[in-house]
Amino acid sequence: MKNILEINNLKKYFNSPAGSVKAVDGIDLKIKKGETFGLVGESGCGKSTLIRTILRLLKPSYGQIFLNNNDITNYEQSELKNIRKEMSLVFQDPHSSLNPRMTVFDTLSRPFKIHNLAKNKEEMTVEIVRLLKLMGLQTEHMIRFPHELSGGQKQRIGIARALAVEPELVFFDEPTSALDVSVQAKILKLLDKTRKEFDLTYFYISHDINLIRVVSDRIGVMYLGKMVEIGDAKTIYDKPKHPYTKGLFKSVPVPDPDIKLKDALVGEVPSPVNPPQGCNFSPRCPEAIDKCQKEEPKLKKLDDGRRVACHLF
Amino acid sequence: MAAIMDINNLKVSFSTEEGELKALNGVNISIKEGTFHGLIGETGCGKSVTGRSIMALLDNNAMIKEGEILYKGENLLNKTEKEMQDNYRGNELAMIFQDPGSSLNPVFTIENQLQESVKMYRNTSKSKYRDIIIEELKKVKLPDVENLLEKYPHQLSGGMKQRVMIAMMLACNPNFLIADEATTALDVSIQAQFLKVLNDLKEKLQMTVLYITHDLAVISEICDYVSVMYAGNIVEELTVDELFKNPVHPYTDKLVHSLLGPETQIEDLVEIPGSVPRLIDPPPGCRFHPRCEEAKEICKKERPKLKKIAENHSVACHRR
Repeated sequence: MKNILEINNLKKYFNSPAGSVKAVDGIDLKIKKGETFGLVGESGCGKSTLIRTILRLLKPSYGQIFLNNNDITNYEQSELKNIRKEMSLVFQDPHSSLNPRMTVFDTLSRPFKIHNLAKNKEEMTVEIVRLLKLMGLQTEHMIRFPHELSGGQKQRIGIARALAVEPELVFFDEPTSALDVSVQAKILKLLDKTRKEFDLTYFYISHDINLIRVVSDRIGVMYLGKMVEIGDAKTIYDKPKHPYTKGLFKSVPVPDPDIKLKDALVGEVPSPVNPPQGCNFSPRCPEAIDKCQKEEPKLKKLDDGRRVACHLF
Repeated sequence: MAAIMDINNLKVSFSTEEGELKALNGVNISIKEGTFHGLIGETGCGKSVTGRSIMALLDNNAMIKEGEILYKGENLLNKTEKEMQDNYRGNELAMIFQDPGSSLNPVFTIENQLQESVKMYRNTSKSKYRDIIIEELKKVKLPDVENLLEKYPHQLSGGMKQRVMIAMMLACNPNFLIADEATTALDVSIQAQFLKVLNDLKEKLQMTVLYITHDLAVISEICDYVSVMYAGNIVEELTVDELFKNPVHPYTDKLVHSLLGPETQIEDLVEIPGSVPRLIDPPPGCRFHPRCEEAKEICKKERPKLKKIAENHSVACHRR
């Protein structure tokens, strides 16, 4: 399968009074066409910055981004308009990502107008009705304002907007974390169905390990700007190897009163302005050896196909 | 075990521009002394209103229509503001809130913030304050406590702030704690550490806790009993074991099966059709009936009462 997205040694640093914040610090990643990739990590690990840099909403500090073999790393503003049709983003908070003064019709007509996707208003209306149907909403929702919709309905409008340009690759930034569980189930099923129907490629980011496992073919685990483990979702979920991945998975409470939390992570994430020497995770790692404080581990491929950045392997 | 708190038929409304919002529609909860009691439900179901009613911290537009909140046999709803402040808040009842960032005063050091609790609720001389504060901060497993005293809230991480909140609460020595979405703003690893602290305290202090959350997995981790709330009503009250093995109310059943557990596949996920009703004009009868697959005529007309179906298990449903 061909790669729809390829990024090499991507870095994004921000300047701050305290020094340079290494939000994304050398990420390599290949996304195959048609797969669902899930990126998991705690707040501040750089996952949102990573996808915003890939989408070129932020300018990369270093590295390269290839979209369908085109180097988009240094695209100018005028060229970026073209890639907005190929990649789109669904935001975390449906309450703040819709303009409160625009009706659903106005919101959904924006992508058609910006990219000249419809010949006239009739054609655009037909398309908008089709998108609403696709999301399980009715034609009458067109004239509603965001405050007249429930959280789940708002998020479906956000998804419809992202799909309007018929992108190949869709990014989801915590798409259900602002929603209740019963609504989450509905959105996830809808997204799954849409992906199969239109042969889309999905890139999810979330702090919710169970969500990422359920939706993804492959997963990546990020810690302090770096990828620590990446590979087949089932392989990693069943047997995580990196001590951070293990600790992270063990920190999630299981909805079963007979299973209690054990071996959860200890300590806190260090500042990305001044990351620890050697392996970033070494100060919190229960298995750290001398080498970990001195030398930064590189991602290594193991026999089962996954890659892990840890000196123990 | 005797009940330390009994909430009976509590009805609370809010006056809004659109009319009367019936937030609590006859809530019944019985909390046994020394247990962790979960209160679970989706956004807007009235969980936080219940917590705030107990503390008498409701907003000005709230009206308590009916019911009683019995704490150690005394009806808290009959107490004056002065009685609540002098005799209950702090020394008997305490509450921690969702966002630790906004619950601490940004211009005071950690020591200053805790000093107030100690001064008000511990009968001791000023020279002992510091020792008590250090002792409380150590109970919640905060590292490097001596240094921490001089710090301001912005210098601490979210997880540390939440632990300072617990320490502050512990400094008051309350018997009954209400935790309202106390870990929702935290990362899983910090949440795990927080839950561990609470579990340790549970063994040591024999405190009673009402734990309000939307997260069933957190409930399964620390609670003994749980009340399930839907649109201002308690629909089921049961032990946490039963919650996962034998949920009886159709809403509880759906809620448990819409969870993403370690084995769940996308096809297994159960969705609840429709959405939560507006509490300005809630549906008549059982408030869940428009979304319930098993609803019959009676469900549309008559509100089901919470009835006991087994030891420690009550449910409010005409079909059960």
